[in-house]
Amino acid sequence: MAKETQKPFRQSMAEWRQFIYNPNSGEFLGRTAKSWGLILLFYLVFYGFLAALFTFTMWVMLQTLSNDIPKYRDRISSPGLMISPKPDTALEFYFNKSDSQSYAEYVTTLQNFLESYNDSKQSQNIDCARGKIFEQSEAAVKKACRFNLSDLGLCSGKEDPNFGYSKGTPCVLVKMNRIIGLKPEGEPQIQCTPKEEGMVSINYFPRDGAMDLMYFPYYGKSLHAHYLQPLVAVQLAIAPNATKEEITIECKIHGSPNLKNQDDRDKFLGRIAFKVMMSE
Amino acid sequence: MFPDPGSLGNKNSSSLMLCSLLSTSELEMKYGTSIDKGLSSARAAEILARDGPNALTPPKATPEIVKFLKQMIGGFSILLWIGAGFSWISFGIHNYKEASRSHQLYLGVVLALVVILTGIFAYYQEAKSTNIMASFSKMIPQVRATVDNSSLTGESEPQSRSCDFTHENPLETRNIAFYSTTCVEGTATGIVINTGDRTIIGRIASLASGVGNEKTPIAIEIEHFVYLVAGVAISIGVLFFIISVSMRYKILDSIIFLIGIIVANVPEGLLATVTVSLSLTAKRMAKKNCLVKNLEAVETLGSTSIICSDKTGTLTQNRMTVAHLWFDNQIYSADTSEDQTTQPFDQSSPTWTALSKIVTLCNRAEFRPGQENLPIMKRVVVGDASETALLKFSEVILGDVMSIRAQNRKVAEIPFNSTNKFQLSIHETDDPQDKRFLLVMKGAPERILERCSTIMINGKEEPLDSEKAEAFQTAYMELGGMGERVLGFCHLYLPENEFPETFQFDTDSMNFPTSNLCFVGLLSMIDPPRSTVPDAVSKCRSAGIKVIMVTGDHPITAKAIAKSVGIISATSETVEDIAKRLNIPVEQVNRREATAAVVNGMELKDMSSEQLDEILRNHTEIVFARTSPQQKLIIVEGCQRQGAVVAVTGDGVNDSPALKKADIGIAMGIAGSDAAKNAADMVLLDDNFASIVTGVEEGRLIFDNLKKTIAYTLTKNIAELCPFLIYIIASIPMPIGTITILFIDLGTDIIPSVALAYEKAESDIMNRRPRNKRRDRLVNQQLAVYSYLQIGIMQSVGAFVTYFTVYAEQGFLPSTLLGVRVNWENNAINDFEDSYGQQWTHYQRMYLQWTGYTAFFVSITIQQVADLIIRKTRRNSIFRQGLFRNKVIWVGIFSQIGIALILTYGLGHVTALNFTPLR
Repeated sequence: MAKETQKPFRQSMAEWRQFIYNPNSGEFLGRTAKSWGLILLFYLVFYGFLAALFTFTMWVMLQTLSNDIPKYRDRISSPGLMISPKPDTALEFYFNKSDSQSYAEYVTTLQNFLESYNDSKQSQNIDCARGKIFEQSEAAVKKACRFNLSDLGLCSGKEDPNFGYSKGTPCVLVKMNRIIGLKPEGEPQIQCTPKEEGMVSINYFPRDGAMDLMYFPYYGKSLHAHYLQPLVAVQLAIAPNATKEEITIECKIHGSPNLKNQDDRDKFLGRIAFKVMMSE
Repeated sequence: MFPDPGSLGNKNSSSLMLCSLLSTSELEMKYGTSIDKGLSSARAAEILARDGPNALTPPKATPEIVKFLKQMIGGFSILLWIGAGFSWISFGIHNYKEASRSHQLYLGVVLALVVILTGIFAYYQEAKSTNIMASFSKMIPQVRATVDNSSLTGESEPQSRSCDFTHENPLETRNIAFYSTTCVEGTATGIVINTGDRTIIGRIASLASGVGNEKTPIAIEIEHFVYLVAGVAISIGVLFFIISVSMRYKILDSIIFLIGIIVANVPEGLLATVTVSLSLTAKRMAKKNCLVKNLEAVETLGSTSIICSDKTGTLTQNRMTVAHLWFDNQIYSADTSEDQTTQPFDQSSPTWTALSKIVTLCNRAEFRPGQENLPIMKRVVVGDASETALLKFSEVILGDVMSIRAQNRKVAEIPFNSTNKFQLSIHETDDPQDKRFLLVMKGAPERILERCSTIMINGKEEPLDSEKAEAFQTAYMELGGMGERVLGFCHLYLPENEFPETFQFDTDSMNFPTSNLCFVGLLSMIDPPRSTVPDAVSKCRSAGIKVIMVTGDHPITAKAIAKSVGIISATSETVEDIAKRLNIPVEQVNRREATAAVVNGMELKDMSSEQLDEILRNHTEIVFARTSPQQKLIIVEGCQRQGAVVAVTGDGVNDSPALKKADIGIAMGIAGSDAAKNAADMVLLDDNFASIVTGVEEGRLIFDNLKKTIAYTLTKNIAELCPFLIYIIASIPMPIGTITILFIDLGTDIIPSVALAYEKAESDIMNRRPRNKRRDRLVNQQLAVYSYLQIGIMQSVGAFVTYFTVYAEQGFLPSTLLGVRVNWENNAINDFEDSYGQQWTHYQRMYLQWTGYTAFFVSITIQQVADLIIRKTRRNSIFRQGLFRNKVIWVGIFSQIGIALILTYGLGHVTALNFTPLR
């Protein structure tokens, strides 16, 4: 039965002071300077060694990797869909067609995004044979196929610098995620359906929302430097009765058996849903 | 808290005193009863209604539900409850704000489940081990006969009872008998003066329950450990909460980090593991005859530094055995071991023939029939202790005693009584030619000698001159000095002419000679030590455990036994011994020179606690003789004042306060009373002191092995904690999930950490001193530093290499991972670019993250296998300890790998668990 006798406060304070610095033995926190020094030295050497070991194993690991393609690509077997412009908050577009400020951000984003698709930037790109996979695994330098901005028609920004936002026909670009070595089968095309009938009519550029097979496969950032992923522009003609209504639109990739668009868990695999609300 | 035991007899027993003073008729008056008729049934019912049944109030037991709830909130559980609470709160807020964050809900549920399951498990283990309940025997009313008070007062000799008031202390007076004592002989009528809790035993029992249950050393150690780990967990948690808040993380996110840090820091499975290890050891000890009632007592025994042991039955065999003989002027010693079959001493002398005949014939003890196949020593005998000893002794040497007695028909007999102090019988001889009667007699040696005029030397009767009487005295003193009970034997062949065959012997008038007999020899008996005890005592000695003998017996006997078992070693002397050797008065002896001490209960009574402390400090070998069980308590308290962990053995009801008071009370399974068993933490099934020593060994082993288990378990905590810290600081994708951590703590790591409990002792653990409960902690600085800062960091480094490898091989080089957290976790970003230009959806990234969890998990698991092998030994080299001696370790390793495989490949598709199949 260890009866704890309460030590007087002053005494316990003195003990603490003694513990922090003991002038008799020169002990600081229960150890002498030499002892602390040795301990620090030990941990310095020990952790130094560990750090070296870590660096070395990481280096060896990195040596086993190729610069061009990742070792495994099993975690991304099927591409996701994404849109541009991508509103900051969530995938929701809110704008007033008569207030240019309200959609300025979307327009700038689109302009910036399409910058790299300008003809001047595509001087090195070649015209590829449409409608079939552009296989070039033999070639040391992979060529990129030209994507004609004019294919995007009204959404190319050439005819309408506001991408239709001022007219109540906003453009949204749908793109498919780049995946190295992905070769879509069949004739992939983007199809968008509004959730609510009769509120919006949809126009695709290029026609039918087709994604040409010549843009596949992708060979990776370092080998395929000027690669441009194909785009499908979706122009939404919002019906006059549907202003101030929230319209949900889901775009899916169709026509290609090896591109999933119905995954239970991944809501962005081969599909994307976004909302548009326009006011006047 | 506990009143001075000396006052027990006087305090609050005035009614008893009064009763012992009153005459029978006065008693009848006082209790409204009559000796012949008893109480009227109406009156009896009235008293029953007033006083309740004659039973002791059982000690107040903690309600089961309280015990269960204690398991639920004790230890780390409270931390985990907090974690679960935070999870739910954050889930609630998230749900309100943006929905679809069921992750937090799962986590909370899992944490709560963990607490509840481990709580139920620990409760079940505890409950399984406590099942010896009190059942007090029937009331023996106040009788006047011979009673065995041993359960009450510890006196081993039966006490006679009469109508006389002999002492003012009710425990001493002869006209009161007590509840729970048994009447061994005679009949008596008595008046019940008290029942139930108002009896002496009731008071003792209530005293015993009044003595608080001290925390066991292991409970203190575990508490210390829990505080330490909880302190680390909370301080790191709070520190990083502050860091993350100041790094502009959202408060909710910071709370989630806090939960993660707590979960990573708390070894959830450890307390369950400790319970299992203890109960495994308890099982092992039960096999070695130590039944452990309280699991934690397993370890207490290991840290024991003083054992206060009973003598009778614990150190000794609890049966009188012939130890020495004296005839033909020579002392012979007999074999006193437990399983003797022959006696080696010289049996050729005709004096022995005569002596053996007396021993055989002058004896009323008989074997119970139907035990012919049992070894002689194991047979049950009807008769008192000394006669039993003599019967067995002669049966061993001469063979069938009963047929010898039949051949020497008994014609007359005077049984032993306390006035004569002898026993006499007259027999026909087995020689048909010899028509003489043989008178045989045994008794107190001096009384026998008085009746003799001759002495038999080498078969011839020689006159008993002063020189021979001197020889007798010397032998008598020597045997008595060894603490042995000595009996003298003599005989006389009655002359045929005076006592013809038809002579009628009358034992009342004694119409035969009882003097001028022929002295034949002496036999001395002792309750010999168990043969395993000396070895056990010396083991204790080398293990640094002080063995103190506490006995109600005579100091001389106690000292003799203490010497023969090594409690007092051969070379050490008491103050009295030194005085005798130097021939100086006791007062002049330098007390420091004496290593041994024999303290009489009467001396103890007058001692102050300082004096007792001095004795306990200055003498290494101590025997307390003639002590009452109440004094045992004083001795125990004295030992505890020295800072010792005290183990106490006891069997009587009166021992129960001391048993409770001791750090570990050990009750005797065979001789022990239920009250003692109830108060004790451990029951020795074979009453053998040597079993305590095996218990000590097991207790020390479990302490060592628990250290290993804890070191093993703590190591991976760092590897679980570092990911969180680096995640918060470097903003990399989360390396390991909270649920994954739980799978390590409660899945892969459980069986290996239990397996460490099966580890054999490394060095001879019985050769080191008992651990100092203030200094040798279960979890000390070295262990924590070694686990946390050395092996733990190494594990983290290893696991991080795996983590970075997984991400790099999938396309995210280490450099791209830093600072990526916010975008990585953003639900709306579904074109996250990796180092090779590929783009990932949010779910694809999460799936990769879970692959990272799984890889991190597997990495820790594999490193824990290595850690397990490291932890097998602390001092020995792994090769000396042997990789294959502990087979259970391999079971642990395979289970670990098996569980990891099942989790990774079997459950790869259960989203909530966050495991993915690895390549």
